[in-house]
Amino acid sequence: MGLYDEMEEADGAVRSHWMMFSTLLDDLGPRDLERRWETAKQLIHDNGVTYNVYGDPAGMDRPWNLDAIPMLFDPAEWARVETALIQRAQLLDMLLADIYGPQRLLREGLLPPELVFAHRGFLRAMHGAQLPQGRWLHKYAADIGRSADGQLWVIGDRTQAPSGAGYALENRLVISRALPDVFRDCRVRRLALFFRTMRDALESLAPWNKENPRIVLLTPGPFNETYFEHAYLARYLGYTLVEGGDLTVRDSKVYLKTLGGLQQVDVILRRQDDEFCDPLELRTDSALGVAGLVQAVRSGNVALANALGTGLLETPALMMYLPRLCRHLLGEDLRLPSVGAYWCGDGAARGHVLANLQRMVIKPTFPNPHREVVFGAGLSQEGLDELRSRILHSPCDFVGEEQVTLSTAPVFTAGRVEPRHVVLRAHLSARPGADSGYSVMPGGLTRFSASADSMIVSMQRGGGSKDTWIASSGPVDTFSLLAPAGTAIEISRAGGDLPSRVADNLFWLGRYTERSEALVRLARGIAARLADQNFDNSPELSVLFSTLVHHAIYDPAMDAALRPEEWLAKILMDEHYANGLQSALNAVYRTASLVRDRMSIDTWRIINRISQDLPGHSAPHELGAQLNEIIPGLDRLILTFAAFGGLVMESMTRGYAWRFLDMGRRIERALGTIALLRGSLVNETEREPPVLEGVLEVADSSMTYRRRYMATLQAAPVVDLLVADAGNPRAVAFQLDRLAEHLHALPPTEVSAGLPLHSMMESLDRCDLRDVAAVDGQGHRPALEQLLNSLSKTLHIISDAISQGYMSHTVTSRQLAANG
Amino acid sequence: MALYSITHVTRYTYEEAVPVCHNVAHLLPRASPGHEWRFASVEINPIPAVRAEREDYFGNRQIFFAIQEPHLQLEVTARGQVRVHPRAGLATSSTAWEEVRDLCATRGAELLDEMQFTFASPYVQWTEAVAAYGRESFSPGRPLVEAVLELTSRIHRDFAYDTKSTTVSTTLPEVMKARSGVCQDFAHLQIGCLRAMGLAARYISGYLLTTPPPEKPRLVGADASHAWVSVWIPGVGWLDVDPTNNLVPSDKHISIAFGRDFGDVSPLRGVVLGGGRHVIEVSVDVAPVEEQCRESRQLPNF
Repeated sequence: MGLYDEMEEADGAVRSHWMMFSTLLDDLGPRDLERRWETAKQLIHDNGVTYNVYGDPAGMDRPWNLDAIPMLFDPAEWARVETALIQRAQLLDMLLADIYGPQRLLREGLLPPELVFAHRGFLRAMHGAQLPQGRWLHKYAADIGRSADGQLWVIGDRTQAPSGAGYALENRLVISRALPDVFRDCRVRRLALFFRTMRDALESLAPWNKENPRIVLLTPGPFNETYFEHAYLARYLGYTLVEGGDLTVRDSKVYLKTLGGLQQVDVILRRQDDEFCDPLELRTDSALGVAGLVQAVRSGNVALANALGTGLLETPALMMYLPRLCRHLLGEDLRLPSVGAYWCGDGAARGHVLANLQRMVIKPTFPNPHREVVFGAGLSQEGLDELRSRILHSPCDFVGEEQVTLSTAPVFTAGRVEPRHVVLRAHLSARPGADSGYSVMPGGLTRFSASADSMIVSMQRGGGSKDTWIASSGPVDTFSLLAPAGTAIEISRAGGDLPSRVADNLFWLGRYTERSEALVRLARGIAARLADQNFDNSPELSVLFSTLVHHAIYDPAMDAALRPEEWLAKILMDEHYANGLQSALNAVYRTASLVRDRMSIDTWRIINRISQDLPGHSAPHELGAQLNEIIPGLDRLILTFAAFGGLVMESMTRGYAWRFLDMGRRIERALGTIALLRGSLVNETEREPPVLEGVLEVADSSMTYRRRYMATLQAAPVVDLLVADAGNPRAVAFQLDRLAEHLHALPPTEVSAGLPLHSMMESLDRCDLRDVAAVDGQGHRPALEQLLNSLSKTLHIISDAISQGYMSHTVTSRQLAANG
Repeated sequence: MALYSITHVTRYTYEEAVPVCHNVAHLLPRASPGHEWRFASVEINPIPAVRAEREDYFGNRQIFFAIQEPHLQLEVTARGQVRVHPRAGLATSSTAWEEVRDLCATRGAELLDEMQFTFASPYVQWTEAVAAYGRESFSPGRPLVEAVLELTSRIHRDFAYDTKSTTVSTTLPEVMKARSGVCQDFAHLQIGCLRAMGLAARYISGYLLTTPPPEKPRLVGADASHAWVSVWIPGVGWLDVDPTNNLVPSDKHISIAFGRDFGDVSPLRGVVLGGGRHVIEVSVDVAPVEEQCRESRQLPNF
């Protein structure tokens, strides 16, 4: 039998449910589609939709691969799929209730005990737990494929913490924006209602605070493959995105550690594998968990969705037993068949697998990082023999699956349409209340293979994804949970629920952006002078270089052979230079991605642009000669930083999040100015005016200076402008003012009281700048040096106080165990 | 019929104050054949904010507790008094080991409780080296009891008792390679050998008599909590063997809890926040109670 194509019949005729779409697409024409698609791809890039690929150093934040052509499902067929999946979810939930309860199915021989007792995912600590609404499975996803004869099969069950719903949502957003007319005319069913059901269902789980439950989304963190989705969903649903370290258990209740103190958590939407959720009672080697969480669950004080312990149903071996379990538990036949799966722990099944090894896909029964999926068809005779003996050695560990020749769907690539194999991941959510069944997302995440020849459909292996459309028979419900595009989405509630970890990251994001900007400004001043043919005569050049020394960036002793322009190129472009600009920009990007759920889309776009304004280079030495090409890049970067600063000021609500970000910027800016003055003015230069001009330029204060003092350049007014003038947003005094304001607005801590901030501001107010700028007999400015030192010391004390007072969560937890 | 008094103290001393700790203890005894507990108690200092006792999956008594005030020291003291009846003489079962293996593999509903002790578990992940080592004792048709006893004495002979060679996280292959360990390692090793043969084996956590009767040698592992193995024999039940001392426990072994391995029943486990470095001190005292003396003291003094 040949292939089944989703859009075309064997004779090339377009299937009826694709008719409308196909006509509209033809009207559009390939060129128009291409043009619109370019815009859409830009949108994906700007929105920073990514997917992390494990084991690939370049794979962190790989851009999301979305196809312009959606997958269309026949509405009548979809209705049958919905009914079948709801049945399947109910069945799986009942299975879990039995496994973690009376275990009748095991005693009655309906489910092999190996699949439970030998599975690491059977969490004995959860046995007997009484859960809200008696439900274990809240979120379920099924991977569905179609074979050549047109039959649909479930080829995988996702019961742990199914991913993909957020990507499906993002795909829908992009496609509906790229093809708004087509989308409208095809009367596509919307996704928002599904998410509302999910939100209502999660709220209904709250054991105590039912009026206004606090729901958090628990993520393993930014290194997880689908972290983008965690942040995206958290923002979309209005939940706080938390890591295990943000939560703590007190009195068998779960609390979120926030700046405003501990706040009780009622429901946890879990995107972290259950085994890692509690280092006390589950995997003791987990660094991601919350000690005492299992006890909190058993005490009925918190609800998890999914419950802890649901992951074990993902074993492919289970599919073999579902038909009879379904008849037994629900009294009806399984509506949608699973792909032919044969668990080798069963004698007859093992015989079948061994006799047909060549056309089987062999999968591990239990999750195991060392075992891969093996395609019998791709093995040599020796390979088959070796596989056979491995199966015979430990039959329970293997499952043989029939290989389905997946159907194809059109994919738009390089200006033309090609068929690729597809799999749909359909998502279900429990409905609110007990015994209320499940709701199916109308659509889902369709994924396609990397090439027309490959059957492997996986985002990890380089495939792509599609939006999935199901036409509505009635009027389309246009309910939306989303704020209109383009608005800055900031936490809408009072800032009190800001997790301490997030505050920490925002603080450092502020510091890193400001540090990078200061470095760029300095580098631009140097580059402009180097590019000038007469730079040998500029005394400020060496002074600016020595300022780099004070920034701990440039160490002439490190590489004496380098010429100044080569040094500059190294600082700016070398990706491996730890103190250089590229490292600083990486730090900006890294900390920003840790708090991206707190950032508006526009802010994120700016963060994305930072890395493009001045691309890194691994061989910077050759770039020394191309100074003129560096300067426009530096100009662009300064504008990008200005845009970032502008958005922070103009679009972030004045909550704690903003205050921490701004405190980081203020501290870093003050320290930067101090370093600049230390490097340039503490020792008087022979011809000082060009140096002063350079300093004013780097500190972005030339205009103000000129307006005040015309062309007369002297040290004292420069120091006044950059240090003591509280009206100059670049001056140290200005930063101190802002810091004082922020600290006043934050919840008081033991360490924030009695800071030397105000005394420092007063003494700055009192001092006479003429005296400060005075030069002694050795061409030295001791008073200036002393002032700068005490300012720098004060700033470090403030920085430490902020860390200790608000971010003490960074204390890690440890295991205690006594040997027997 | 011996009456013992048990005192088991575990003390953690921290360099810096610990603001919060969560703990699980398996220090209260479950009901075991031949054990008559007069009392058993666990005292925790500082007094925990949360303390809850429950029966765990295996039927052991588990205490969960949390301390929520800053503390520099945690002290957990388990006390008890138990009368231990000598276990009935060695099982006379002559059932061949293959028969037991095949029985375990039938997945009969009535054998479900035994069967769950036939699988690998977090601390008992055997390799071919472990399986091969054990296999030597299981010649075809050999009675299970005989094979188990030989395996027990082989482990005792081939592995050196060394408290410095392993830690709580030492794996079976490491023990196999080092040829040394403590009671916990030997128990895991023997359990691995037995399960690799398709047999059901449990990990038992408990105590040994610390003060030996006159002229008898002191048993190894008596200054800490002890661990040994139990193997299932159809028609007989669970037979205990102690590979650390190469003997079949009679009335000098006191059972507290059992599970698949150490991880299920570790006497005391906790997760603390901060605290810096810490020092652990464990002391176990199991002494016979001089009943006559005690009873005479209770007599009215006239």
